[in-house]
Amino acid sequence: MFLKTRRFIITGGALIIFMAALYPTPGVATNTPDLKPAKAIEKHVPESLTPEPLICLDCHRTPNIHTNEGVIASRSFCYDCHKEADIKKRDVSKDINLQITPDIFAMNQPEHRFIACINCHTDVARSPHKTETGATCLGCHSPHSEGPANAPHLRITCQACHFQSKFVRLDPKDHRVKLSHIDYDSVPIGLSDHIPTDITDEETCEKCHFKKNPVGAPAAVLPSKSALCILCHNSPLAMGHPVFGLAGLIFLAGIFIMTGFWFKGSVKGEETSLHRKISLSSESIWRTIFSKQFFSLIKVFILDILFQRRILKESVSRWSMHSLIFTAILLRMALALFTAIGFYFNPDGNLLTALIDKNHWFTAFTNDLLGLFILLGIVWAVVKRFIVKPDYVVTEYQDNITLILIGSLVLLGFLLEGARILVTGIPSEMAAYSFVGYILSRMFSFFPFDWASIYPLMWYVHGVIAAIFIAYLPFGKMRHMFNTPLTYFIEAVDGVKNEKRV
Amino acid sequence: MEINQKHQETYQRFHVLHRLLHIVIIFNFIFLAITGFLLHFSAFGWVSSIVFLMGGAGAAGWLHRVCAVFLYIGILVHVSWLFYYKIVLNQKLSGPDSILPGKKDIRDLYQNLRYVFNKGTPPLFDRFSYLQKVDYWAVMLGMQSMGITGLMKWFPEFFTGIFPGYFINIAAHFHFHEAVLAVMYIAVVHMSDTHLVPDIFPMEKTIFTGEIEKTRFMEDHPEEWKREQVIKG
Repeated sequence: MFLKTRRFIITGGALIIFMAALYPTPGVATNTPDLKPAKAIEKHVPESLTPEPLICLDCHRTPNIHTNEGVIASRSFCYDCHKEADIKKRDVSKDINLQITPDIFAMNQPEHRFIACINCHTDVARSPHKTETGATCLGCHSPHSEGPANAPHLRITCQACHFQSKFVRLDPKDHRVKLSHIDYDSVPIGLSDHIPTDITDEETCEKCHFKKNPVGAPAAVLPSKSALCILCHNSPLAMGHPVFGLAGLIFLAGIFIMTGFWFKGSVKGEETSLHRKISLSSESIWRTIFSKQFFSLIKVFILDILFQRRILKESVSRWSMHSLIFTAILLRMALALFTAIGFYFNPDGNLLTALIDKNHWFTAFTNDLLGLFILLGIVWAVVKRFIVKPDYVVTEYQDNITLILIGSLVLLGFLLEGARILVTGIPSEMAAYSFVGYILSRMFSFFPFDWASIYPLMWYVHGVIAAIFIAYLPFGKMRHMFNTPLTYFIEAVDGVKNEKRV
Repeated sequence: MEINQKHQETYQRFHVLHRLLHIVIIFNFIFLAITGFLLHFSAFGWVSSIVFLMGGAGAAGWLHRVCAVFLYIGILVHVSWLFYYKIVLNQKLSGPDSILPGKKDIRDLYQNLRYVFNKGTPPLFDRFSYLQKVDYWAVMLGMQSMGITGLMKWFPEFFTGIFPGYFINIAAHFHFHEAVLAVMYIAVVHMSDTHLVPDIFPMEKTIFTGEIEKTRFMEDHPEEWKREQVIKG
């Protein structure tokens, strides 16, 4: 027995050693794909070092700026002139210094110190030595949307915010805000030092956002939209302003209280233990999802919730009124969600750039049309409740609060859009697609108010009402948007299942 | 035979939360394994064509991180459930029902090996057998070290402020080799010790339905069954 085991161990050990010997050792197993580029470089280097006769193309050439050699070659060509102290651009009133040395540039923009000048200044290496496009950033960087900067900032060049120079101008040709080469007293200034600014500091926004600014910016720095605004607008996953944060907290607390209320009733005979109630109801939800009933729930979701079949059965006019509000908000939310998520994945695409651009014809028209639908629905409801007053309409104060909140939100939204179009001075052929806002902006232009100062006030009122609306959702009339679908679902699963009392 | 099994009395073994977390772990683990290995073996031609279909290496890396975050959220939910179990439900985390390893597991292992070599009776398992405990702790501890090494690879700028730079390389090696270990463990040990057991084949459904049949309960977890009968009286 003992001998047998020992023999077993010896054979096993020998087998293991044999297998290990078969395993390729690191010295033998070379990683061939890694070696290829190294070989290529080795071959290439001596060739480029061979002396060449002096010909035109020694200077007038297109170095490959995607290689280190090319970057150094092309930069040395720029610095050859621009490092000199007396390099100046002659202007009518004053000479502008255009000096920039490699050391200053590396100090001011350490991120770009291994990048060729012509990588950004794409159209300067030619005669006449003058740029049409300015420096381009979007060749490498992706634009940002809501959050760090709101959508109207799409017509602002990167440098206007990200560079330290305090002077900006509105280019009438392409209607974009750019860094100005003259200060506000028309004295030429140099921009060759390339000093970026700390854009997290709100003070940098104030170079545009002050009273009577020349670029059509609102007079105050406004916070970004909040994640709560996704109900109607493309918005970032941010708080934006403490008011929105507070509203979000109240909303969550309300949802919590509402869910707690659902579990106040008995669940399958269990009266007291909340733990038992939750486990019983989650058990039955689990069984429903993994059963054929799931398909009937999808049917209920599409017909009764998205298309509001039960209201249509009651009355066509009620359905029309409700759908004008509900479907329009739903569509705006779907569009906003698609934009927010899509932009996250593809910030360079044309489609998403169009969707985050408030002035693009599709976005402007769709949002205005849907907003108008909501407003029409609200007006219809108000007329029915306060003027026609049919017997079956019972008006409660909760209904009035909801109508006032949604109505004033949409109305203020349109007023804001009108003021924005007026203040930013968007050309009318572009602004006409936001048809409601454009008409309002024409009307506003008759009143000689300082709209750039009124705009921030209106923005805050709109924001605060939106915050109140969100916070009110789980408490008032709007609670039905959680309760009604749930009731439909429970009815669909089991007509008399008294699992949750709503 | 089949009909009999279908109409058997069943007992609840797993709550909905645990079934849900198990599904979360299944999906995220599979996607993590796929994207991770595709990214690691990017030198092969067919790998790059699959990665291209996923939207490029950036998208595959993004998916890998998203799945990692969701997997770890699952672990955090599980840990907070443990606190809930201990504090709110006032239950004991140790004891015979526990997933914590104990002396009985070593005895069971020994007895099971004896049984495998035809030298005695099979061990009487409690709520969790020693193999199930190993399954649990392999995931629980493995996810901690995968999480830490993964975070080091994700945020090298932060971690090189604390550790020397070669720790990132070490983390990368640990991450890959432990990924191989985890996938091998799940694919070989976990799959075979749950689904390929002759009594259970073709599929162990308890973790998905939450229910265990009476006969299997009595056979596989006899100690727990005994205690259950004592409590019932």
